[in-house]
Amino acid sequence: MADRGRERCKTGIAGLDNILNGGIPRGNTILITGSCGTGKTTMSLEFLVHGALMGERSMYISVTEAPEKLVENMITYDFFDKKLIDDKKLLFIDLQEIYVKLGLEKLEFTLEDVNILVEQIVKMVKELGIKRLVVDSITSICYRLTSKEEIREFILHLGKELSDLGCTTILISELLPSARGYSQYGVEEAIADGIILMGNLERRGDLLRTIQVIKMRGTTHSRAKYVLDLTSIGVLIAPLLKGGSVEVG
Amino acid sequence: MGVTANVVSKLEELPSASSIAISTGVNSYFDVLRAVVDVFATRHDLYVFYVTSTIPSKNIENLFELLGIDSSRVFFVDTISHLMKEASAMEDRFLYIESPTMLEYMMLKVEYLARKYNDKKAVVILDSVNSMSIYNGPKIMSEFLHILVTSLRSWDAYMVIISMRDQNTESIHSMLNMVCDEIYDVEEGE
Repeated sequence: MADRGRERCKTGIAGLDNILNGGIPRGNTILITGSCGTGKTTMSLEFLVHGALMGERSMYISVTEAPEKLVENMITYDFFDKKLIDDKKLLFIDLQEIYVKLGLEKLEFTLEDVNILVEQIVKMVKELGIKRLVVDSITSICYRLTSKEEIREFILHLGKELSDLGCTTILISELLPSARGYSQYGVEEAIADGIILMGNLERRGDLLRTIQVIKMRGTTHSRAKYVLDLTSIGVLIAPLLKGGSVEVG
Repeated sequence: MGVTANVVSKLEELPSASSIAISTGVNSYFDVLRAVVDVFATRHDLYVFYVTSTIPSKNIENLFELLGIDSSRVFFVDTISHLMKEASAMEDRFLYIESPTMLEYMMLKVEYLARKYNDKKAVVILDSVNSMSIYNGPKIMSEFLHILVTSLRSWDAYMVIISMRDQNTESIHSMLNMVCDEIYDVEEGE
């Protein structure tokens, strides 16, 4: 695998950077996927905060949660500095406002609408000099797309444009606990450069939060399953002990 | 010399980042804790990260108070209070884990403390390998101890594993022999 030559975008999450052999290859568009309560949003926010602290302007596009609420939750983190928001190093965008601005307040998008949306996101990334982007969630956007072809076009187009700008992108994908595969529509996982699966593992009545890197183009990486803890100093990761377990989602 | 002095003396012989299993009887148990928490940790200005699966952390703190042991440098990772329905609000000095079977979370809570309180070195106490063995099989326990001891070395922390002599089985002996640098047997008559 081509470990040399690809610049890394360090997530700042020590355990994850080790798993990824130094970080996410810069410019990759990756899918963080999992059911609710597995830590997807928390980990993505930490990725952005560390980026902003390292001087990389970072942006969070929220579809499902109000930015104010997200910021409120982030205040509990020791590493979070509200100045990052005041200085516009960390930006929160409400996608609903973009929909209104673009006249996309509709339940179903056409291919043309998809392209308008992608161009708007790319325009913001370009103009604001964004180096790290999180879209939470891609599932909510794909919900408005009527075919797998549209979903494919949306993610391909978005990923290509952002990669050309050197922006490392996390697309959050919501999974039902009973889902098979790594994404709701089955298309997202095939197109993304990387897949990080977050889940719940039941072991003798205990429910453990887990993380596993399924694929990551441009780097060698561990494919083992790890346990994670969400703490005030950020996400911590430990190896999953091999003791016999049953997966629940 | 008494038990406390002997245990301190043994600990003083260890290079930093060492792991030691201390096998003790019930009568010497508190002398061992005094040696590690009160004398050794104070003398070397170490934090104490106390992982308990035997006695709820609040009870240990109360006992320390009764014994005149300063517990201000002690941080508890408590795996038993939830089972006893005694867990109170989480704070850094009292971190609760739902069950002694959640071994990965014990590692993660110790790592959390080691990362957050990194201005001093630490001694990690695991109390006890016997009570943890009630809830966990020998294979997963060995794996857990091996990873914990190895990761603590990278934090330059001491590791003290308490074992109760009367409850030690052959598999516990083998496990401690495998993962610890030293085994110290406290003699009751010391």
